[in-house]
Amino acid sequence: MGIAAVIVEHPPVSPAAWALGLRELDLPGVVDVVPAAVTVLVTCTDADALAGVVARFDEVVPRSTPDGTGTVTIDVVYDGDDLDAVAAATGLTPEEVIEMHTAVHYRVAFCGFAPGFGYLTGLPEPLQLPRRSSPRTRVPAGSVAIAAEYAAVYPRPSPGGWHLLGHTDQVLFDPDREPPALLQPGTTVRFRRMT
Amino acid sequence: MSAGVRVGDADARTTVLEVVRSGIATTFQDRGRAGLAQIGVGAAGAIDLGLSALVNRLVGNEPAAAVIETCGGLELVATAPVVVASSAHLAPMHLQVGERVVIRAGARGRLWHYVAVRGGFAVEPVLGSVSRDTLAGLGPEPLTEGQPLGARATSTEFAIVDHTPLPELDSVVRILPGPRRHWFSDASWDGFLSNPWTVITTSRVGARLAGGPVERVVDGELPSEGLVRGAIQVPPGGEPVVMLADHPTTGGYPVIAVVHPDDLATLAQHSAGSRVRFRRYG
Repeated sequence: MGIAAVIVEHPPVSPAAWALGLRELDLPGVVDVVPAAVTVLVTCTDADALAGVVARFDEVVPRSTPDGTGTVTIDVVYDGDDLDAVAAATGLTPEEVIEMHTAVHYRVAFCGFAPGFGYLTGLPEPLQLPRRSSPRTRVPAGSVAIAAEYAAVYPRPSPGGWHLLGHTDQVLFDPDREPPALLQPGTTVRFRRMT
Repeated sequence: MSAGVRVGDADARTTVLEVVRSGIATTFQDRGRAGLAQIGVGAAGAIDLGLSALVNRLVGNEPAAAVIETCGGLELVATAPVVVASSAHLAPMHLQVGERVVIRAGARGRLWHYVAVRGGFAVEPVLGSVSRDTLAGLGPEPLTEGQPLGARATSTEFAIVDHTPLPELDSVVRILPGPRRHWFSDASWDGFLSNPWTVITTSRVGARLAGGPVERVVDGELPSEGLVRGAIQVPPGGEPVVMLADHPTTGGYPVIAVVHPDDLATLAQHSAGSRVRFRRYG
């Protein structure tokens, strides 16, 4: 990927775990380590730094979760505009959709699309639906949504084609907070129903 | 920094300029906030890092000092004696109260221009940078009419550099094959290197090009993967998009080529309607 970056395809364990392992080595000259769906992008300051980093890839020990992060619980009010449509499309009742969405642990596979937007894997298979055929021009901040094999929470208002199950008042991204993003690659997540 | 002036303050004591006309796409920039792509935060930073550093040098600043970036139509008035420089003028200007700086659109054949003030503009950083990321909506708001502009130091001493030449804008841009080069036919790759490419639209996010068919030989969707500044993505429409400062951190379209970092500003400085050629690097 240019003179100072490389795409690592299908790294061992998972892109998020391998990316955490690479960060752990704290190698000089690394600018960004960006896990994605099946790859990790490693960006360095220059070509020499990249060569030095690539030479040490075999020392990477994949790590499941980032330091100091337990399970993040996200409190959800299940009042999303697509809850009934998701129920209809999956042959479940809205109640069963909610039970299924709250029953499992998710993991942040990678971030992208917007600051603090995490793609969560672990969505139960019956809930895996293609994106909406016509995306919404505006999805409110805090929307809890699903699409394909992923679950997510929209950190800020944006256009979006995912199915909206509900909303949370939790702040997903705040540049004045440390860390700014509630969800980082590797973070374990649960959704909890608010009544 | 002068005594009694806190970093980041833009209060009345340090106000040196005021925005008369805010112009086109006018924001504060520095060298950006690289290193946060894994949480979906892009680097942003000046589109033309070399030119912004040069303008800083004209007023004796470090290359990383905060500058104003604009596509022109910008007019500033001095509210205190102040030393400024711009990439449209390329020499330090010692302004008295009421004197103005005007940046015209397309000055010196370039789309993006910079204004620096001695000491650097006093702007509050967000995640370590004052750069406005126009895609993410992160960083200080774009400049508006009537906005007072503070400087971090109010010295009116002249800088060491008093003039600097600016070569004519080149139109040849060196590229390297991208990670998905082989998703495209050899004919498309050859066309990439031999056809002239016209800039259709351009912004801080990216430049869209037209110049010939770019034919995919691998079908199917690409799972999202990380992007770098300079990556040339080919969306289904076939018009390549060069990722610039505010590009998304990940993307789902194959990257056919990547612009050499030293030539990225050259490409970005071309306005819509102008032509560039690609040449293979290395």
